[in-house]
Amino acid sequence: MHAILDSLAMIGVSYIMGFLFYGFYRQLNARVQRRWGPSIWQNFFDNMKFFFKSETLVHGPMFFFGPMIIMAGAFTTVLFVPFLKDSNWLQGYSQYGNLILIIYLLVVGPLGNALAVGSSGNPFGVMGVTRGLTRLMGLEVPFFLGLGLVMLQHETTSVHAIMAAQDGLAHWGIVTNPIAFCVILLPFIASQNGSPFDVVGAPVEVYAGPRVEFGGRLLGVLMTQNMMMSIAKLVLVTDLFLGGATNILVLILKAFALFVLTTAVSMVFPRLRTEQAVDFFWKVPLGLGVLGVILTVWLPWSA
Amino acid sequence: MTMPLTPVWFIALPLLLAFASPLWVRLRLLMPLLVGTPAALLALALGLLPAVRTAPLLETIVIAPPLGIHLQLDSASWLLVALINFAGVVVGAFLWLGETEPYLRERRAFILILLLIAGCNGMVLTGDLFNLYVFLEIAGVSAYALSALRRDAPALEAGLKYLIIGSVAAIFFLFAVVLIYLQTGNLSLAAVARGFSEIPGPMQMLIGLLMLIGLGIKTELFPFNFWVPDIYQGSHPAVASLYSGILVKAFLFVLFHLVFLFLADPGVAGAWLMGLGAITMLVAETVALRQEDLRRMLAYSSLGQIGLITLALGFGVESTTAGGLFHMVNHTLVKLLLFLTAAILLRSFVSARIADFAGAGRARPLAGALFVLGALAVMGLPPLSGFASKLWILKGFAEAGVFWPVALILLAALIEAGYYFRWIKVLYEPRTEVAIEPSEGRWAYLPIGVVAGLIVLLGVAPFLVDDLFIEGARSLLDRTATLVAVLGAGS
Amino acid sequence: MSLILKLFFFAVSLSPTALLMGWDGHLTWTLLDGVGLSLTLTPLAAFFLLLLALAAPLVALPMLRRPADWPSLALYAALLAGMQLLLLAGDFVSFFIGWEIMTWSSYLLLLRSPRTEMATSQSYILFNLASAFLLLAGIMVFYGLTGSFDIRPLVGPTQPQQLALALLFGLAFLIKVGTLPLHIWVPRSYDEAPDIFSAFLSAAISKMGVYGMILLLTLFPEALTGLYGRLLNGPAAGYLLAWVGVITAIVATYKAISQEDMKRLLAYSSIAQVGYITTAVGVGSSLALGGALYLALVHTLVKLLLFISVAGIVLQTGQRRFNDLGRLIERMPISFFGVLIGIIGLAGMPPLPGFAAKYLVFVSLVDARWLLLLAAMILSSTAAFIYCYKLIYAPFLGHANSAGAREAKEAPWPYLVPQVILMALLFGLGVFPGFAIEVLIDPVLTALRMAPLGGSSWAVLTTAYGGYDGVVLMSVFVTAFVLVTGLFLLLRGRMRRAGSPYDLSYAGEVPTEETPLHYGAGMGRELRRIPLVGWILRHSSQGFYLGLTRQMRAAAGLLGGFYAGNPQTWILLAVVVFAVVLGLQAVTGGI
Repeated sequence: MHAILDSLAMIGVSYIMGFLFYGFYRQLNARVQRRWGPSIWQNFFDNMKFFFKSETLVHGPMFFFGPMIIMAGAFTTVLFVPFLKDSNWLQGYSQYGNLILIIYLLVVGPLGNALAVGSSGNPFGVMGVTRGLTRLMGLEVPFFLGLGLVMLQHETTSVHAIMAAQDGLAHWGIVTNPIAFCVILLPFIASQNGSPFDVVGAPVEVYAGPRVEFGGRLLGVLMTQNMMMSIAKLVLVTDLFLGGATNILVLILKAFALFVLTTAVSMVFPRLRTEQAVDFFWKVPLGLGVLGVILTVWLPWSA
Repeated sequence: MTMPLTPVWFIALPLLLAFASPLWVRLRLLMPLLVGTPAALLALALGLLPAVRTAPLLETIVIAPPLGIHLQLDSASWLLVALINFAGVVVGAFLWLGETEPYLRERRAFILILLLIAGCNGMVLTGDLFNLYVFLEIAGVSAYALSALRRDAPALEAGLKYLIIGSVAAIFFLFAVVLIYLQTGNLSLAAVARGFSEIPGPMQMLIGLLMLIGLGIKTELFPFNFWVPDIYQGSHPAVASLYSGILVKAFLFVLFHLVFLFLADPGVAGAWLMGLGAITMLVAETVALRQEDLRRMLAYSSLGQIGLITLALGFGVESTTAGGLFHMVNHTLVKLLLFLTAAILLRSFVSARIADFAGAGRARPLAGALFVLGALAVMGLPPLSGFASKLWILKGFAEAGVFWPVALILLAALIEAGYYFRWIKVLYEPRTEVAIEPSEGRWAYLPIGVVAGLIVLLGVAPFLVDDLFIEGARSLLDRTATLVAVLGAGS
Repeated sequence: MSLILKLFFFAVSLSPTALLMGWDGHLTWTLLDGVGLSLTLTPLAAFFLLLLALAAPLVALPMLRRPADWPSLALYAALLAGMQLLLLAGDFVSFFIGWEIMTWSSYLLLLRSPRTEMATSQSYILFNLASAFLLLAGIMVFYGLTGSFDIRPLVGPTQPQQLALALLFGLAFLIKVGTLPLHIWVPRSYDEAPDIFSAFLSAAISKMGVYGMILLLTLFPEALTGLYGRLLNGPAAGYLLAWVGVITAIVATYKAISQEDMKRLLAYSSIAQVGYITTAVGVGSSLALGGALYLALVHTLVKLLLFISVAGIVLQTGQRRFNDLGRLIERMPISFFGVLIGIIGLAGMPPLPGFAAKYLVFVSLVDARWLLLLAAMILSSTAAFIYCYKLIYAPFLGHANSAGAREAKEAPWPYLVPQVILMALLFGLGVFPGFAIEVLIDPVLTALRMAPLGGSSWAVLTTAYGGYDGVVLMSVFVTAFVLVTGLFLLLRGRMRRAGSPYDLSYAGEVPTEETPLHYGAGMGRELRRIPLVGWILRHSSQGFYLGLTRQMRAAAGLLGGFYAGNPQTWILLAVVVFAVVLGLQAVTGGI
């Protein structure tokens, strides 16, 4: 019973945080561009509107099941990320998982959805999927290297253990392992589909995103999972580098701070093409990561 | 010639039967005798085996050695005799059962083949240098004539070339014999061996060199083997199988017999021979890569294997020698198999060029399978007999801690694979629809099948015969034992 | 008659299973003077025998379809016999015999395909024989050191001895597994082999190289550490091997992405997967070896599944290129699930066991503190998603691009039964990741005197660095899926199937049948614009081997010149040699 309630709570929290954060993002973006922008609730309204569309066009069974898989993937991901430390609540099934598992779970859903995109028969959708996978290939290398530094630092892959080790500001990951944080920051933005790495679903002269064929309730599902997945990632990075959170308010605060940081980066830079993005990831963040490895693993004082 | 079963029959029987050939033509016994004679000799060899294994058989003719003539059947020469006669049976049976071309089933071919067998047996058995020369010429002359049997231009050319180069070899050999006689006053091998060390060094060297060139041409070692492919290509494959299967083996045996008998310390000569063997092996295998004619390819492969055997025997250690002898036997079996299969394929597909063989293995599945078996065996792939002997040789080198021959042998085997597998691939080429002629002469597969069975049997269970080869190697290497046996303990 | 023969053949294909169940003993067979074969089953060999026992009957089943190709069946039986001998070998002679029988019988099987080209068959046999002969050379060195052919650890070997052995054996096995730059025979032969036999080549035969590599480690008293000491927290010699494996994986992954043919893509993906295994063997710790064995197990299952599914597609459509297929999901649904499960396993996604295997290897890299290797491995395993997607998109999704693809039917049952069995196995192993560890891998590790990895139950995979629970993971995911789908269907509103496959939002235009809508082989082409990937795809080691072949042929031509048929020359040469040697003798020794 506790597990069920806890799971529902986690899903609810991540959904609410999701649409609020994105609503804030739209507000902030508008203000930076000197527009009024929509209300902070706008994402929620959009989402509900999609869910209550009366008609949905599908292109075969796989097209229907793809969004279901991605949604199930989002739920699973959320449930395997511990939201709080030293608490019975908002834990989900995180004690049965680990960091590497979460990283892979983040990808399960999008790959399931890629099947649906392929099934639609729209080449522009598939093009978007390919771009997404290419970007993933670029960003995962430095991202995982940064996480590797963290795993090595704590000699565990368990998120709980990593969180527990960060008691007090002086032991936060961002303080004890700043290189790792710098290494993962930009790939993290890309994994959130944030600018300047947002070419995958970006409005271009020909719309070429994975969602090109989706509409109605299916698009609503895709939107929901996107918001929840973003929150899961934010919480994960909070757990790893910002010492986790002992209650929901601290969690929101820390996640929000992180969100503002990434948003700030996003707003400043223009969009990169896919191959530019990949090349960038393999030069700058990865170079930094290699430097980090040399500094913290190879050189004698690290032993 | 008082005892009914003595080594002399190995020479006398084929000679007698060959010279009485007009009789057999009348009685239509040519073919049965062509098979029966070597078969009888093989049976005789098997019958003598227990005696040979206890002590070498010496057959004195007229006067006792060192002055007289004698034949010596020890464990090593027994192997060769058995091999020669076995090959005789197989080839004879193939000619008989396989409905081969008529010119190979006539009286002349009958005579020549029996003479060849008699000559080879004689070379292996004889105990004195003069008879060695005589048998060498008998075998040689019959071989030249066999090449030219077909009476078309390529065959005649091959026969003529063979005659020329064979005569040159014989002259070199004869010079060596003359010099030895001048120096020691003896022709009996044992007596010469006893006195050989007293010959002055430079003269030893000269004799050795003459011998090496004379026998080098005959045994097809590297700088002297340029004639081989032409002859093999010009002759009928069944005849070529005799050359590669027994003639060369007999010469090889003679070469090493002389080396190990004459020289108290065969180290230097052995090193020379190893070097020559290694070069022969590598050069022949490399050249074979580009051969487009089946018979020519088999000739080069034969050269390569001869090089390997020379390399192994030249090392002069018991296990490499035993392995070398074993490999000699295996190579004979394999080349019989390959050349006779080639004969079958050639009959069906007329041309021997690689391009014309595309898909032959699919049209003639049995011949194709036999060719593949032979190719695998010659490359020394398990579980076939070539592997067992190669392993034995390699093991001998490894035991002695000498690794360069191991590397060279394996390299050569790799190159060898380069061309054999090319042929196998072509044999199973799917694209062409080959005109399948009615397959006559199913019985031709019988002798080939027997050989194939032996190859598999010796590959799976070489322990059945390994004692024979160890004893053979011992008797080949043990000089003093031979001297004592021939000349008496006091020598 | 034919039925009895087929039943007999199927029974032969079950022989590895029987051996695995029934073997308890020791068999010896004298070969020659001083050379005997001794057959015994070690736990390590038993693991690989298990892989063989899985692969053999599943591949045999589709081979039995009418019209049966009898030579293929006979060769397959020989191949199985050889591989079993290889695995049972207690001494190097039987190991080598098994190895060689495997080599030539697989080569002859390769020739049964009508598509095999000369270059393919030659590269297959020459590389494999080179591997075999290197192995034999290593065996001879081993024999020279120990005086015996028995497979057992060396006692107090010096460093040069270890190095010689490691180089000879190592090269032999690396050729067999097909690491860079010795891989060139792999893609061609996997591609052109008979479609079903490709499954066996990739699933079972390449694993023998892995077996050899692990066996090699057991020969040295301190495994790879004895060679050059330690680097960070692992063996320094293994660091090199691990990089070889990872670079192989990266390059092969990009090559796989750029392929336009299903089987060739799978072939490159095999190279990449075996590259991971090589890396894990290089790390050499208990975690890593466990991971290597796990990867080997998963790769066997996955590649069997994928190659058999692809063989079914080729059989039914007659097409093998991505451009010529499409939309088979509706015509071949079971094959679709086969490929789907296959690529999930291949990509190492949870909850299938591919993830468990990769997890062990990742953790072992962290444990060895080799983080750069970890990053490189992530690169190739993420890039693998692209070809995995290509493999399912191009044949099954999108638009049908040829008559064959439009009219295909589901594959016949001998192809489907193995697929269903394999899917079930993969699913089961995914839910119980600890099962493979505890039942299959731990006995091997214990026999190698390493710490076992087994956890508290079959559902969990545990390491010192944490683990995960397969049952929980699977139940959460399945519950979420059911819940989401149920809720979605409960919502108000109706679903409408698109009127035609051309009812697309196509940049404001209306596509027709003529519009090229299938992304097919084009997928991944834009990756060339990434500098590193472009560089990899532009280069190949093929030129080197072609050059080598050319040089050999030139040498053959040069030497062949001696053999021109001219008796005068022959005699002249003989006399010249005679004179020169005498002359030399006169100069140096003096007559």
